[in-house]
Amino acid sequence: MKITVTEKKIEFKKELNKLDRFVIEFTSLLNNLKMQYVIVSGYIPILFGRSRTSEDVDIIVEKIDSETFRRGWNTISVGFYCINTKHAEEAYEDYLCSGISLRFAKKNTFIPNIEFKFPKTNLDDWTLKERREVVLGSHRFSISPLELQIPFKLHLGSEKDIEDAKFLYTLFKEDLDMNLFRDFNRKLKTQSLFQRYLQ
Amino acid sequence: MRTPRINLKELEKLKEENFRERLEFIEKYVEWMKKSSNKTWSSQQKDLID
Repeated sequence: MKITVTEKKIEFKKELNKLDRFVIEFTSLLNNLKMQYVIVSGYIPILFGRSRTSEDVDIIVEKIDSETFRRGWNTISVGFYCINTKHAEEAYEDYLCSGISLRFAKKNTFIPNIEFKFPKTNLDDWTLKERREVVLGSHRFSISPLELQIPFKLHLGSEKDIEDAKFLYTLFKEDLDMNLFRDFNRKLKTQSLFQRYLQ
Repeated sequence: MRTPRINLKELEKLKEENFRERLEFIEKYVEWMKKSSNKTWSSQQKDLID
């Protein structure tokens, strides 16, 4: 496997699957809109080769004002539709600003979809600020730092999540900032799960 | 219809063993990925997902 990992960037090439193409299409719109966002959770292990798929892709987007959101809504609406509501104002006020995610899918489909949300916790703010760039051939998008993503998967704790953590840790253990990784394991109280299943 | 007696402790133990086996498989899968070209592993992943 050929992959280049630096402090802020991960660069590699792969045969794109349908989920990769779906993510690239949506994040290209966010890139064009110059929105700050970060992909978190289940798509990250899939991006790097995990042998499973997912019905949704979680994206945390910086908190934007209603006018910026409306511009984004108009751009996204060319190829995608919002499953929750047809109205931009309702999407912004009653969903995003009320802490409820929006789901965007390609027209005439239901899955896969993008779970689009504003940051809710300190961890969300941190991951947005410290996001890492993925260069996948000619495409670029942002993902959560693996030093958080792996302990957070352990924190979620389902068998699927621990398997995702195992996959990412086994693949990237030589590239992780171990001080940061240990700090998140300590703060999320996942040291014993780490020792039991990942080491 | 009579149903068999169920030993929940035994099932729990099997569930944990099965989970450990899957984790072991993931470790072997990553070892294989690391030795393979990007085209090889990602083509197989694409076949599975698509």
